[in-house]
Amino acid sequence: MKKSIFALLLGLGALIALPAASLAQTTIFACEPEWGALAKDIGGKAVSVFTATTARQDVHHITAKPSLLAAMRKADMVFCTGASLEIGWLPILLKKAGGPDVQPGAKGWLMASEHVRRLNVPVMVDRSMGDVHPEGNPHVHLDPRNMAVIAKVLAEKLQEVDPVNAKSYQTNLRAFEANWQSLLAQWDKEAASLRGKRVVVYHDSWAYLLSWLGMEVAATLEPKPGIPPTASHLEKVLQEVEGKSIIGILTAPHENDDAAKWLSGKTGLPILALPYTVGGRDQADDLPGLFTQTLVSLKGKS
Amino acid sequence: MSKILLLAAASAAVLTASMPANAADDANLEALRAEINAMRQAYEQKIEQLEGKVQTLEARQTDTAQKLATVEPAAGIPATDQRTVNDNSFNPSIGVILQGKYQSFSEDESEFAGFAVGEEAERGKEGLGIDETEVNFSANVDNLFRGDATIALHEHEGETEIEVEEAYVSTTALPYGLEAKAGRFFADLGYLNSHHSHADDFADRPLPNRAFLDGNYGDDGVQLSAILPTDIYSEIGGGIFRGDDFPGGGADGSDIGAWTAYGRIGGDVNEDTSWRLGLSTLQASESAREGNEGDVTFNGDSGLYIADARMVYAPTGNNAEQEISLQGEYFYRDEDGTYEDALAGTGAVDYDGHQSGWYAQGVYKFHPQWRAGLRYSQLYAGDVPTGLSGSALDDGGHNPWAASAMVDWSNSEFSRARLQFNREELAGGQEDDQFIVQYIMSLGAHGAHAY
Repeated sequence: MKKSIFALLLGLGALIALPAASLAQTTIFACEPEWGALAKDIGGKAVSVFTATTARQDVHHITAKPSLLAAMRKADMVFCTGASLEIGWLPILLKKAGGPDVQPGAKGWLMASEHVRRLNVPVMVDRSMGDVHPEGNPHVHLDPRNMAVIAKVLAEKLQEVDPVNAKSYQTNLRAFEANWQSLLAQWDKEAASLRGKRVVVYHDSWAYLLSWLGMEVAATLEPKPGIPPTASHLEKVLQEVEGKSIIGILTAPHENDDAAKWLSGKTGLPILALPYTVGGRDQADDLPGLFTQTLVSLKGKS
Repeated sequence: MSKILLLAAASAAVLTASMPANAADDANLEALRAEINAMRQAYEQKIEQLEGKVQTLEARQTDTAQKLATVEPAAGIPATDQRTVNDNSFNPSIGVILQGKYQSFSEDESEFAGFAVGEEAERGKEGLGIDETEVNFSANVDNLFRGDATIALHEHEGETEIEVEEAYVSTTALPYGLEAKAGRFFADLGYLNSHHSHADDFADRPLPNRAFLDGNYGDDGVQLSAILPTDIYSEIGGGIFRGDDFPGGGADGSDIGAWTAYGRIGGDVNEDTSWRLGLSTLQASESAREGNEGDVTFNGDSGLYIADARMVYAPTGNNAEQEISLQGEYFYRDEDGTYEDALAGTGAVDYDGHQSGWYAQGVYKFHPQWRAGLRYSQLYAGDVPTGLSGSALDDGGHNPWAASAMVDWSNSEFSRARLQFNREELAGGQEDDQFIVQYIMSLGAHGAHAY
């Protein structure tokens, strides 16, 4: 009896210890597709990346489902947006399944929005303002200049988590940066004609994109952040936009486009279906594609 | 600049005034004048140059400011530490749940045929009233521990009761997917037990959770769980408890009155569909449990076994827009001891038997703000020894059942209003039509999106 218990314990111990020891790659748990793509670019062959959500999902409403718990259990690094975007589910995953190295502030913890200047930081917050984020607008990835900053922070983090492959992370970062600088110059040139143009948006998801391009929001379809469009609010939006010079209505793959279609039908404004993140539209299957396709969609109808 | 000029002029004036009026010195005076004039000219020139420089600098500055304003706030710049620290920075996050209800029942009586139940199993009071008001506090204690406390205020028979629903510490950073909890908490049992009622899909708990767990089993103890390093989600865990909460009761001495164990697996079928299956048990030994408001006493061992299943479907996994969830639990209770129904005057009668029950529900979120759901639950009391016939434990040949339909609307993540209709037949011939209107509002801390 004693022997069999001992054998069982030994077996259990081996079950827990073996997979950890045999994992050569650093496992990165990325909350959103854009960070998954960046992690693959900077991590290269030294990492394996699990991306928790897709472009067609509203990240704010995700639940701590079983597959995410299983993935968090194996994570050596957590790479997310932060700024309360994942507040409903990331804390549960971390508490139940996350190891000591991926807890807030630990070496394997990286929240992209903490490393760039955030827009729309509210002076005061109250829930009557809708689901506002006290830390500011979390959708930082849509300004490609932020990507360059975050890539650098990621490379530093990876070197800390996995010093063995430090050289490779540095090389990958240099390659990424060189490519990104030339792309930035190209995009800036292409986007010059968009400066000062106005658009209608569904949610404040585009603040960083519009700030980069020097564009402006003419109206928002949600009456308050996180509250779906109401008939009375849409009527107000219709009055606001009629007769104004606006190039179109931006929609993301995870957003309900009923309100956008209604407004488009009433005003004749085109719907500009942007990728929002990697995988959001056919041509946006990597980070350069995300921004190239975004500019193509914006300019196509302007 | 003009100060230097004044100083120069003044010193020149002093110099001139102090000069003795001497004709012989006229030549000297002339020379001095010329010198001063030259000095003045040089200064004026310099001043002009400096003023020009200031102007160009000023112009350049406004130009940059304008440029900054158009791209402000500049992106691609690493953030500096902008945080201000106040005395209350380390306050725990606080959440308050406000709930109110209107209920109307078509039957005066509501007794479970064949079961002696706890007070949380009752259907509540008719008319308008506030439901449980919950206050939650939570925060990290330090880098290893987290503390959670949930204080509930509710009314029972005209008295306001304050209940420590949960008060526990848990580990946050244990390796190997381990988590330990200590204190009072809702044990991981089946699906619903570890959830607070404000997160439920219906205004009341299904029959088996009411009859077998008195709503929730929450007791004082410790629990250890581990998520295993498998590709699909798998978790095992268990705990030891004082054994004071229903189905335990009357715990005294240093004995461990109850223990639990559970195992769960889960995963994704595809992008749209996720699932979870679980098996769990709660064993309460040597309990002295009162039911039906003290009329019925059970002494002995009570073993509960639960199987639970949940499946969630959302097109492309985007549950913000649409979602269908299917959920069910099966309960089996094996009891060995004595039952005594004081009201029926049975005396303590030996009992060795089992009861069971189940529920199944489906909830459809058909609009970001609207959901509709159906639920059916059923209980089976089983046979009782002759000594208990005619008592509350005798189901009289009737298996209690309840059917529910609900619709709810959520303006935001933090508010919900619900309409629910129940038809319950808990005892033979006692068909009760229940109409419930309810609101649930959460203030403060952002709630967790548990699966």
